[in-house]
Amino acid sequence: MTSTLPVAVPAGPGQQPGSGGRRPLGKSLLARVRPWMLLTPALLVLAVLLLWPLVRVGLFSLQDYGLKEIVSGEPNWIGLGNYVEVFTSSQLWTVVLPNTVVFAVLSVSFTVIFGTAVAVLLASLGRVWRTIVSSAIMAAWAMPAVTGTYVWVWIFDADRGVFNHVLQALGLQDAPVNWFTDRWSFYAIVLLNVVHHGFPFVAITVLAGLLGVPKELLEAAEIDGAGAWRRFFSVIVPQLKQIFAVVIILSTIWDFKVFAQVYLMPGGAGSNREVLNLGVWSYTESFGQNRYGFGAAIAVLLTLLLLGITVAYVRTILKEEEL
Amino acid sequence: MRREMWTRRNVGAVATAALVALGVAACGSGGSGDDGGDGTVDGEGKTLDVWIMQGTNPSADDFFDEVGTAFKEETGAELNVEFVEWADAHDRFVTSIAGQTTPDVAETGTTWTPEFADAGALAPLDDYIEQAGLGDDLVEGLVEAGTYDGQLYGMPWYAGVRSLVYNTEIFEQAGVEPPTTWAEIESAAKAIKEKFPDKTAVAVPGDAEFTVYPWVWGAGGEVATLDGDTWTSGLDSPESQEGLSFWTGLAADGYSSAGATTWRETDVLDAFAQGDVGMAIMGSWTPGAIVEANKDMEGKFAAVPIPGKDGGMSPSVLGGSHLSVFETAEDKDLAFAFVELMTTGEFATKWGEQAGYFPGQTSLLDETLKSTDPLVAPFAKQFVEGGASVPVSPNFGAVQAKLTTSTMMQSILSGSEDVATASTKAADEMTSLLNGGS
Repeated sequence: MTSTLPVAVPAGPGQQPGSGGRRPLGKSLLARVRPWMLLTPALLVLAVLLLWPLVRVGLFSLQDYGLKEIVSGEPNWIGLGNYVEVFTSSQLWTVVLPNTVVFAVLSVSFTVIFGTAVAVLLASLGRVWRTIVSSAIMAAWAMPAVTGTYVWVWIFDADRGVFNHVLQALGLQDAPVNWFTDRWSFYAIVLLNVVHHGFPFVAITVLAGLLGVPKELLEAAEIDGAGAWRRFFSVIVPQLKQIFAVVIILSTIWDFKVFAQVYLMPGGAGSNREVLNLGVWSYTESFGQNRYGFGAAIAVLLTLLLLGITVAYVRTILKEEEL
Repeated sequence: MRREMWTRRNVGAVATAALVALGVAACGSGGSGDDGGDGTVDGEGKTLDVWIMQGTNPSADDFFDEVGTAFKEETGAELNVEFVEWADAHDRFVTSIAGQTTPDVAETGTTWTPEFADAGALAPLDDYIEQAGLGDDLVEGLVEAGTYDGQLYGMPWYAGVRSLVYNTEIFEQAGVEPPTTWAEIESAAKAIKEKFPDKTAVAVPGDAEFTVYPWVWGAGGEVATLDGDTWTSGLDSPESQEGLSFWTGLAADGYSSAGATTWRETDVLDAFAQGDVGMAIMGSWTPGAIVEANKDMEGKFAAVPIPGKDGGMSPSVLGGSHLSVFETAEDKDLAFAFVELMTTGEFATKWGEQAGYFPGQTSLLDETLKSTDPLVAPFAKQFVEGGASVPVSPNFGAVQAKLTTSTMMQSILSGSEDVATASTKAADEMTSLLNGGS
């Protein structure tokens, strides 16, 4: 985008006929307007691609909107009916919300902790090994979520899965167990999948920060008698606060709206109601039941939840900065 | 007329009636192909987008290559066929209807056609069918299922039915005969499990609703009945619960497998093709797919109609597919030319033979039903004498999408709920959805 900015050209020849005799005023107005003119294309693109769909989802959520309405194009306003239904649904409070929130908290924690540990490992490796290890974890990152999910499903498959085979070979269980039917074991597998897919991003980002921590600081701390743990938590972590903020916010957003990793698991598409989360619930209501209004209300709820968490988190970070 | 169709007995009767009627109706159809292709369709330079379903049927790539060539010859238009998995298809249809990106023609499951018609996405076909002179030669059960508000939105293409498919090698080695009653199913499963502890004696899948209803009907229950304008699900009746208890009891006794709790029909097929399953409820279209998946299975399996509780037959869902023309199709004449090519004559016969389906044209159906092929005859018997229909309502698609029956099965099979609790929940949900609730 920046490459197209005609920075070197002031109020070019094209502007002169319009500005005429009132040059000073025109110039200051132009100076104020110019940034916006330059931003206009980008803002337009954003408005069309992001803002309009967002507004539409908001509008759908206030309607009883089904296939018929889509085909006919007629609106069908019902006020806050969808929201009332969402908030009075026992499914929301007993299944969907706990699944979504608890899972997100766990997966963000594990992803960040594990990713940071790997980053520290990478930082202490030599050039050759660092390349080898980082390409290996890149492979996990590059794997599409769908492919990754099928691999995990295969590993934990009841009859032909590696996991059950190993447990039985070790004599830890007598008969195969279907790990997908229980809410906890189901989400444990999703957690493995999501952490495995998400930690490389954290590792690489934190590594970049780690390499930027001045060596002098660490040496000084070491001379002062700080051990490895102390050096990490008292010197490195404060230096990387910004990076952790970014990593945690992004992970939170990703892990809250996890969809494919749940939907594609056996029973995850709705036949096991115990494992629904906000994303899958919204999808099955919208596209399975043709209740786009209700699905949109769930989606709006998810967005607001994420927005709330992000704002709260950014505020605490900023407050700590001020201290 | 439509109202009377719901009960399984009537549907079976209709299939039989269609058969009898063929003697009268079939004669006229010979020349109708000529009338239909009156040469007015010019598709030069056009492309027709078509969605065809795939799942547990044999691969259809070669078949559609041939159809494409013939279609190009007849109309000059290109054929662009896209295969869509049954499991994803409902979502794909609904999404594309919402986005106005539907194909020109698509295979629609018989339970979906009224739903999409209700949404205004499909084009009525009566005029075309009349023009082509095909009206009298269509299988009635499929016509009923494709009719919404008095108009036909789905051209009968094929029908299929599920029966009990068993592995003959396993049966021989375990020394059991194909079962004819429920008690015999149980004793056969027991014998197989004793002989082959590592195999699945009988597959009781948790995510395959059409393998569940035969047991409900077989015990004298109903999936749902219509009284006036109100549907009531009968899944929680004592009869239905008896059927469900028998079927899920096979799993509880250890004759199924732990994995089957989350199996779809595609998983049943995979396991059966690997030779790991003694018997399973499988479709008339699966024999080809079994051999395709594993050549060694050729000649090592057979089928019998689903046994009734004390003999006879348990009714099985008469499923099928329509070919529907979507409102978004720019050239509907061209679209119907394709529909006609597929559902009549050479290609309809070939599709039925290759895939193990029963044609939707009465004159062709008769030929298939006379077959003595051991992998066709049992299904044909089930088709004619033991066919039943799921509730014919535009809302049944919502029941399927909600996975009401699968939810019930999985919670019973995983042991989280007993039959009474799970079936009551499922019946309440189905009743509510069928009556347009949520």
